[in-house]
Amino acid sequence: MINQTATPIDPITTEIIQSSLTAITDEMFATMRKTAMSSIIYEVLDFGVAMMDANGNLASSGSGIPGFIGMLEPGVRSVMEKFDPETEVFPGDIFMTNIPHHGGVSHLNDVVLILPVFVEGKILAWLANKAHWVDVGGCFPGSISPDATEIYQEGLQLPCIKVIDKNETNQAVIDILAINSRVPDITVGDFWAGVASMRAGERRLLALAEKYGPGALLYAIEDYIRTGEAMSRKALGNLPKGTFEATDVTDDGLEIQATINISDEEFVVDLRGNPPQRKDALNASYDATFVDVQMIYKAIAGAQTFANAGTFKPLKVLVDDDSMFAAKYPSAMSVYYETSIMVFDLLWKALAPVMPESLPAGHYASICGTFMGGRHPETGKDHSIVEPQIGGWGGSLDRDGLNALYTGYHGDTFNVPVEVAEQRNGLMIDRLCLNEDHGGEGEYTGGKGINLDYRILRDDWWITMAYVRSKKGPWGLNGGLEGTTNYIKVLRKDGQEERYSSCTALPLNKGDVVQVVTANGGGYGSPENRPHAKVAADIRNGYITADRANKIYGYNE
Amino acid sequence: MANIRAASDIGGTFTDLVYFAVDEETGQIADMKAVKTHTTPDEFQAGVMTSLDVAGVSAKDLSFFAHGSTVVINALTERKGVKTGLITTQGFRDILEIARGNRPDFFNLRYQKPEAFVPRYLRREVTERLTHRGEVVTPLAIEEIEPILQDFKAEGVEAIAVCLLHSYANTAHEQQLCDEIKRLSPDVTMVASHQISREWREYERTNTAALCAYVKPIASAYLSEMENALQRGGFTGSFYVMQSNGGIDTVSSAKEVPISIVESGPASGVLGAAALGKMLGINDIIAFDIGGTTAKCSLIDGGRVSLTNQYMIEKDARSAGYPIMTPVVDIVEIGNGGGSIGWVDEFDKMHVGPQSAGAMPGPVAYGKGGTEPTTTDANIMLGRINPNYFIGGEIKADVSAVKLAFEKLGSQLDISATDAARGVIRIANHNMGNALKLVSINRGYDPRDFTMIAFGGGGAMHAAALAQELNIPKVIIPAHAAVFSAWGMLMSDLRRDYALTLPLALEPSNAAQISKAFENIRAEAVEAYTSESIDFEDVYFEQMLELRYEGQEHTVQVLAPLGGIDGTAIKDLIDSFNDAYERKYTYRLKNNVELVSCKVTAFAKVDRPEIGKLDASVFGPLKAAIKEVRGVDFDEYGVHETTIYQREKLAPGTFLSGPAVVEESGSTIVVFPAHTLKVDEYGNLHIDTTGGLS
Repeated sequence: MINQTATPIDPITTEIIQSSLTAITDEMFATMRKTAMSSIIYEVLDFGVAMMDANGNLASSGSGIPGFIGMLEPGVRSVMEKFDPETEVFPGDIFMTNIPHHGGVSHLNDVVLILPVFVEGKILAWLANKAHWVDVGGCFPGSISPDATEIYQEGLQLPCIKVIDKNETNQAVIDILAINSRVPDITVGDFWAGVASMRAGERRLLALAEKYGPGALLYAIEDYIRTGEAMSRKALGNLPKGTFEATDVTDDGLEIQATINISDEEFVVDLRGNPPQRKDALNASYDATFVDVQMIYKAIAGAQTFANAGTFKPLKVLVDDDSMFAAKYPSAMSVYYETSIMVFDLLWKALAPVMPESLPAGHYASICGTFMGGRHPETGKDHSIVEPQIGGWGGSLDRDGLNALYTGYHGDTFNVPVEVAEQRNGLMIDRLCLNEDHGGEGEYTGGKGINLDYRILRDDWWITMAYVRSKKGPWGLNGGLEGTTNYIKVLRKDGQEERYSSCTALPLNKGDVVQVVTANGGGYGSPENRPHAKVAADIRNGYITADRANKIYGYNE
Repeated sequence: MANIRAASDIGGTFTDLVYFAVDEETGQIADMKAVKTHTTPDEFQAGVMTSLDVAGVSAKDLSFFAHGSTVVINALTERKGVKTGLITTQGFRDILEIARGNRPDFFNLRYQKPEAFVPRYLRREVTERLTHRGEVVTPLAIEEIEPILQDFKAEGVEAIAVCLLHSYANTAHEQQLCDEIKRLSPDVTMVASHQISREWREYERTNTAALCAYVKPIASAYLSEMENALQRGGFTGSFYVMQSNGGIDTVSSAKEVPISIVESGPASGVLGAAALGKMLGINDIIAFDIGGTTAKCSLIDGGRVSLTNQYMIEKDARSAGYPIMTPVVDIVEIGNGGGSIGWVDEFDKMHVGPQSAGAMPGPVAYGKGGTEPTTTDANIMLGRINPNYFIGGEIKADVSAVKLAFEKLGSQLDISATDAARGVIRIANHNMGNALKLVSINRGYDPRDFTMIAFGGGGAMHAAALAQELNIPKVIIPAHAAVFSAWGMLMSDLRRDYALTLPLALEPSNAAQISKAFENIRAEAVEAYTSESIDFEDVYFEQMLELRYEGQEHTVQVLAPLGGIDGTAIKDLIDSFNDAYERKYTYRLKNNVELVSCKVTAFAKVDRPEIGKLDASVFGPLKAAIKEVRGVDFDEYGVHETTIYQREKLAPGTFLSGPAVVEESGSTIVVFPAHTLKVDEYGNLHIDTTGGLS
């Protein structure tokens, strides 16, 4: 018997332990943020931390990004499958995995660290930490490219290994990680940041176990998951019932579709019949697609309550085994996030017409991951940048869409200040302003995307990016107009202009300007219902031109 | 003019005045007194003058008057500032609206982003550009300013904020812009970002400048009225304003950048704790303040109040809020106070707060119609608060209503009324304990090395239990716990905090540049003080460096030597950084260390007499301090027949063993079984949670 046994305790102590579990994952999150070496972790928050029970069920999560909440369960399960918890897992062990098809969930850059917490010789819980490492080797700088065709090109694979064995670090592994990365110092620093974060959690959890006893803790965890399920089922009961569908077309012309069936007992998402596994890197694993379902469910069923394994009990996903939404090893997956956000947006689109109080019209719906690098013009050191972009959100039933916010896949993600970016990254930023392109009008207008212009200051730089929603803008709702699209323009020093929605290691030289343009969100409601006073204010604030206002709203000053 | 020194702190409910006369013979403080009057929201200064009247103190007898006020934070949260325009660098007028793009309420797809304080049509751009080193790429197009000012005038703009990109590295363009505005519109209210902050992050700095301009006319008018009211009363002493950084400053400086007083009330309580610690020779302190709706705590390390430059207003789990980049005492605040309500949710979970019964209807015990039990009610239910001496005897607590409320609460969980009351206190203590951990354990400090100084209405009641939980060995309940914020101001020196972002590798070759940066800041500080007739001899400094490993974002602060910094000093600083980093995060790296900013705190000494000691011979025997014996419920430490003492009658040197309760007007001190209590020579109460005799 490897597990502790639960000892029932009074409701007050239960509540106190449960709130301590949240405090522990919050502290793990804060520690990671403060010790990480790269802005993709500490500012973009492309990382997550969680506590699982002894069986690998999510107990508490400290993630600031909804997209990472459900990602750590499969990682812990993969450890339990490979290592017998009774004979092969010990106090002081730390495991490491990143293969998306086998418990890593997302892409090779997202490295999962897992620490078992032992009390009295038995596993009480698992702590896990997953973070986007800037570079894990492979063909492409940043280890990401839409052009990858198999996972071997995308970097170093860590097939669920024990990197720290009873507190003894396997230095060989660290050395291999370092030599395979284009940024070894950052890679090793981020590894230790992850370890520090889990060890902080372990200390607190052990103190809690000492105070209340492992049996009480176990009871509180079980009760917490039960409560999560009870809250979830109650929220499910309040949702509109029926079958809801949406279709869309990807930028490369593939039709995608989703059917959602909501009953009193289940929330079933049927993604069968979608395009097969792709030859490029825009594939998602089954686990990544399941996270999309978790996120949309949480948005409509108790967005402001906690989430744990109980919350997601009513969910079910049906998807073809070899589809682009559940691709098999060794398919390439480095750009999985764009495929995942397509699924998320599709589910959102299916439900928005019946749940407008929770869901606005379509937003810019692309992570807009922008990877650039080269030698820093001041230090001469190799430098790389990983940045998602902010964009416009859709209008909704009682207000205009939000301007310039990260996607629904992100959360408490911060952009990098211009002043910091220029010093750190060795670029100039010529402007950062709202996108004034036409589109997304409605009774409630779509929010604005941005224009962000990076000026390159040294020769031999490169850019890799793959934005979706580059052909067709975010969908309007209830008569609102479609928004605009995501893309970049490269203005060459000689005056030439190029437009891309996807490129790999495109050369950039001193004096070139990369202009990022993100989409304006979709409108809500017919434009003819927008009061003229609001249109006048829009013109005054430069959100719309007088001509366009006249054309769309029939407004004359 | 008699030599009376006074401080007044305006809170939401009460205006506190603390004052003392200086004994001509001993030079010591003769007798410290306090007056509480009701706050007069529309005319704060009238309330202050009334409190002086009530105290019988004439303005002309005041040699020193320090003032803390909520005028700035109120104008911000109630959106009662003026119509504000912003001038910024070409290409960046939307920074204020874009903000940082974050969505803390991360599952919610109907998030509402905080609205910018300056609308887009009042955000204007000028041609100019600096690099991050402060070099000029594009000179300022000064001719563009006049048309902007004309537009602002036509729109009825009453205050202008200026924030240019990289102005922290070079203030010249902002300065030129301000000079031009002054030349064209001499009377316009204006704030430039560099007057408040020389640190990078353009959104934070722009927002700070905008919010400062937005409240400046209101705050200046208020401070002028306050000065006038005092002068009409014959005041000729020195008038100081309490700032958010835990120090006072001159009124002229506060009028210039009023955003510096945004958090003055809570800051002065922490300052009071630091000042009391200094008096008693205690340097490592956790300041803990429980009010009606919230509890606040802050850590004082080596006598130094911790500051943050990441202060936010209106930020919570649902909203990104607004950053204010001005040094503010680093306080963790949670929604648990005496009025916080205990409740059970639909999934049978008990919670306490953040809803509060407020002043109306207040706790059930007030008998003003409240039916939901609060933390205060739980303390009555358990016999810790005397129902017959409730709020200093102002009200007789409605004990039967309290019982009924807890019976109702307990029935939802199938537990007794007493267990429900215990539950409310345990959960409230747990919440407050988490806040205390956030400022201590989570930052790498061991609570066993600290003394808790507890104040505010509820501080003394919960302090000992919390200290025990966190293994804090000693708790001090100050003599003036109920008016501690105002007391803190009386103990304060002038304080100005300067920070300069200077991203550099921390290596011996950069020593001269770092040394020079410190020297320049100190010179600037001395010049500012002496221009306000403050003696150069009274100015003293503290210097810190914000350091990190190359590539990181978050910094760790390290104390820097006051003299020149050379190569050896740099090596020592790297060692101190590695030690401090390891203490916080359990590991160290061999990576390069990077400087982010230089920080200088410039104090100016305020002449301050010593506080006199109490004369034990004027007190009666301990027996005379006993009010009664009653049953008090100490939760897991049992129900005990407990002796209740009157605080004012406890002589210095008195020693008591728990269980005991000490009552004073407006506050109750609970001494648990196995704890001991000692009264020091100033009348502060020291509780030893280890039961020791010291």
